[in-house]
Amino acid sequence: MGFSATEADDLSQEVFVTFLETLDRFEGRSSVSTWLFGILHHKVQERRRVVVRDQRADPIDEIFEASFDAHGSWTKPPIAADRLAASRQVSAALAECLDGLPDQQRAVFHFREVEGLSTAEVGELVGCTTNHVGVLFHRARTRLRGCLEGKGWGASR
Amino acid sequence: MKSCKDVSYQLSTGDLAHTSLVERIGVWLHLAMCRNCRAFSRQLGAMARAARGAASATEAEPRESFEREIVERLRQR
Ligand SMILES: [Zn+2]
Repeated sequence: MGFSATEADDLSQEVFVTFLETLDRFEGRSSVSTWLFGILHHKVQERRRVVVRDQRADPIDEIFEASFDAHGSWTKPPIAADRLAASRQVSAALAECLDGLPDQQRAVFHFREVEGLSTAEVGELVGCTTNHVGVLFHRARTRLRGCLEGKGWGASR
Repeated sequence: MKSCKDVSYQLSTGDLAHTSLVERIGVWLHLAMCRNCRAFSRQLGAMARAARGAASATEAEPRESFEREIVERLRQR
């Protein structure tokens, strides 16, 4: 698995920080490059686990599935919410809900909706395929909808 | 004929602009006939507006000295 340039920068930064943190334990047992390489190897493994964890099935997918019957029709129809949407409370509720999103999903939602970046541009930034950006965007919005509904969004209609 | 599930997924991934004309027409036709998916589509729009509202409420322009302070701090490392 490859890493984007941004991720490579992050990795080298992490390696450097860990190197400084663990310098006391170094004690000249191996050459500095071997030591650094060991840390890098460890960080790459760590990073791979994070990436893999994020790309496999997300429990939110089941919640989306459960919103539809066998014919693909809504089991609990969405409520038109435009009247409520303009209010400041919804913005505040949304900000709270955003905090509950996994990092990558929050980033994708922010870049797409607030910064207005394209799927391809977000893919570059987040380091995944445009296809996966779509999946993450969908998961983020499904989570946010559920979270907002839990806060009573549209409950008065 | 597209189902509500297909349509809401396509809207939700935000990738409709990159699909074929036939796909898009399928979604439009469904939306024209389905109140529930139109409501869903408006919810997506409402969330986007709420997100921009939340962002503009919290993000002020950084103060003038901000950049200088960053550079200064980097120099000290
Ligand atoms: Zn529908």
